[in-house]
Amino acid sequence: MTNYGLVIDQERCIGCQTCAMTCKQENNVPMGQFWNRVLTVGGEHVDTPSGTYPEDGESGDLDMNYQPTACQHCENAPCVKVCPVNATYTRDDGIVEIDYDKCMGCRYCMAACPYNARVFNWDEPEHRPEDGTGDVAERPQGVVEKCTFCSHRVEDGLDPACVVNCPADARIFGDLDDDDSTVSKYISEYNTEQLLNEKGTDPSTYYVQGKMTPGRPWTSDKLETELGDDEAAQATRRRNGAPTSEHGPTPHVPAETAGGDD
Amino acid sequence: MADADTTARRPVLSSFGTLGRGWLGVLALLLVIGLGAWAYQLQHGLIETGMRNVFSWGLYIMLFVLFVGLSAGGLILSSAPKFFHSQRYEGFARLGVLVSLGCIIVAGLLILPDIGRPDRIYQFVTSPDFRSPMVWDFGIVMLYGALNVWYLWLLTRRDLAARGSRLSLWVSDSAAGRDRDRTLMFWTAVCALPAAVALHSVTGWIFATQVGRGDWFSPLVAPVFIAKALVSGLGLLLVVSILADRFTAFTADRGELTSLGKLLGIFLAFHVVYLLAAERLPHAWAHHFGFWAITSNFLIGDTVYFWLWTGLGGAVPLLLLATPSLRRRTSVIFTASVLAVFGTLFEGIRLVFTGYQRVNINAAPGIATGGEYAGLTTDAWATAGTYTPTAVEIAVTVGVISIGALIVMAGLRYLPLQRAAPDAAYATDGGDRTQ
Repeated sequence: MTNYGLVIDQERCIGCQTCAMTCKQENNVPMGQFWNRVLTVGGEHVDTPSGTYPEDGESGDLDMNYQPTACQHCENAPCVKVCPVNATYTRDDGIVEIDYDKCMGCRYCMAACPYNARVFNWDEPEHRPEDGTGDVAERPQGVVEKCTFCSHRVEDGLDPACVVNCPADARIFGDLDDDDSTVSKYISEYNTEQLLNEKGTDPSTYYVQGKMTPGRPWTSDKLETELGDDEAAQATRRRNGAPTSEHGPTPHVPAETAGGDD
Repeated sequence: MADADTTARRPVLSSFGTLGRGWLGVLALLLVIGLGAWAYQLQHGLIETGMRNVFSWGLYIMLFVLFVGLSAGGLILSSAPKFFHSQRYEGFARLGVLVSLGCIIVAGLLILPDIGRPDRIYQFVTSPDFRSPMVWDFGIVMLYGALNVWYLWLLTRRDLAARGSRLSLWVSDSAAGRDRDRTLMFWTAVCALPAAVALHSVTGWIFATQVGRGDWFSPLVAPVFIAKALVSGLGLLLVVSILADRFTAFTADRGELTSLGKLLGIFLAFHVVYLLAAERLPHAWAHHFGFWAITSNFLIGDTVYFWLWTGLGGAVPLLLLATPSLRRRTSVIFTASVLAVFGTLFEGIRLVFTGYQRVNINAAPGIATGGEYAGLTTDAWATAGTYTPTAVEIAVTVGVISIGALIVMAGLRYLPLQRAAPDAAYATDGGDRTQ
């Protein structure tokens, strides 16, 4: 079985908000809404530390950290259990997803989510440009939406947009059930935390704290837009479980499971 | 007394009269305004409410909770004595079930404007997830509503038949039939009591199962919901009975009113004093060290909703009802009952606030509230929940409540709510034998 998870290395994160922005673009997230937010753990405002500057006898204990926060794709997801109509469900690959054709907008899932990861389309969603952005269809007024781990990309053998576009390589995506995956290795080798661990939701998102990891491994210097037809064909072969060439970008979506778990 | 006499048990309103018609006109107007507001909200979206991403349930759910509780009084009060084969409070039974029915319909209808896509509500039936407390609640609200309809009809059908009303649905009036109905009433009571307990517990569990929302996650929530249903349900029944006594041919037995007032006092003491103390003491004790710190944190609440509930809606009616010289007065019972219902309203408001005011992860900038996009402003984010209902929400809510009031008015006019011979008193022989 595949069980997708995300490792976020808070020691690598530089708080640039790129993951938040790329998420918004890729997923066509309406104006005024965010699926992915980079929070500042420290002072009262964004990019401000807690503590004092070391002058005038002050302690100089300034401290600040960034915490990118989106749907945690919990194993024991309260939102899935409360959804009265099975609109929110856990896929076989561990991704928590919403069926926007079923959601009736009762917002019980928003009450259930301890992370406030879900947003509701209070009115007709607005986009800039008006036709929207990215590769995902707009969700209608009156339904709840949230991060999908870019399931449309994962199904094509690609990492989520926030992972690919993180300039600090602080986000690593992969199969938690595969002991050889980078995410599994980092979780076993580094100190990782799950957000609000005490709530018992068992998130599939892990935060590295303390020692910095080597970050997201790169196997190619090409951008996705530079992938030729050959590489696209390789991606298809990978999805079908066929062996791939050693060149080209290797997303961390396991070949044998991308596109189905048969 | 229970012979099949045809001394007509008339509806307590023989005609609506000027006052009644005026009141109906007001209710109809409120209903039309409410429908208009709902249409407006459907068109523009829930953006027209005060709810946003952090505070995502508001007035509709607060009043859903209130009206579920209000629907308890009548059904429990009319079925509990029947369960024990007692004739006690028989005079309030029919009116009580009518009020219960009105309230549960209001509660159920309040869900419609709350959901973003009411056109998909059928999904409750076609695609339910039985893990969801909301599915349990949907089921029990439907069942409870049906039970109220059946019970009200069962209580009145022989009298309706005696009057030749078509509402009797071809049931005829006979001594044997009335005897059979008494057995049916007993068995209905047997079902009604656990159904009422289930209704209030399940509604409590909607909140009590949620780890993510502060004080909601407490095993005490379900018992508290039972207690507040007893308080507010009985309170509303007393209010409606006293009003019906004043404005219609309905007569409320003074002795029973006083005795019900006393019962309301006991319920209030259990709810507002005992259960609240049981909820607060462990937290106050665990989080504070000194004796006075523990005591003050145990006794003193922090929000205005808390004081509206425990003070004006708790302590005041409790004192009124605990004073023997006062509680014999109908006006005092009426005031205390109004305050008890009022207090329960604020308890529900407080419950929703305790869940949404604080967020678990409140680091800056917080959560995008998802309001109308107004350019580069900082108020697009929130690190705490705030909520004020809008005029649209209030208009819709009042409109839905007016439906309940219209149902009660129709019942007063067309159903025989009063027993013919108020000789009932308390039967000593178990109560259900014909003399």
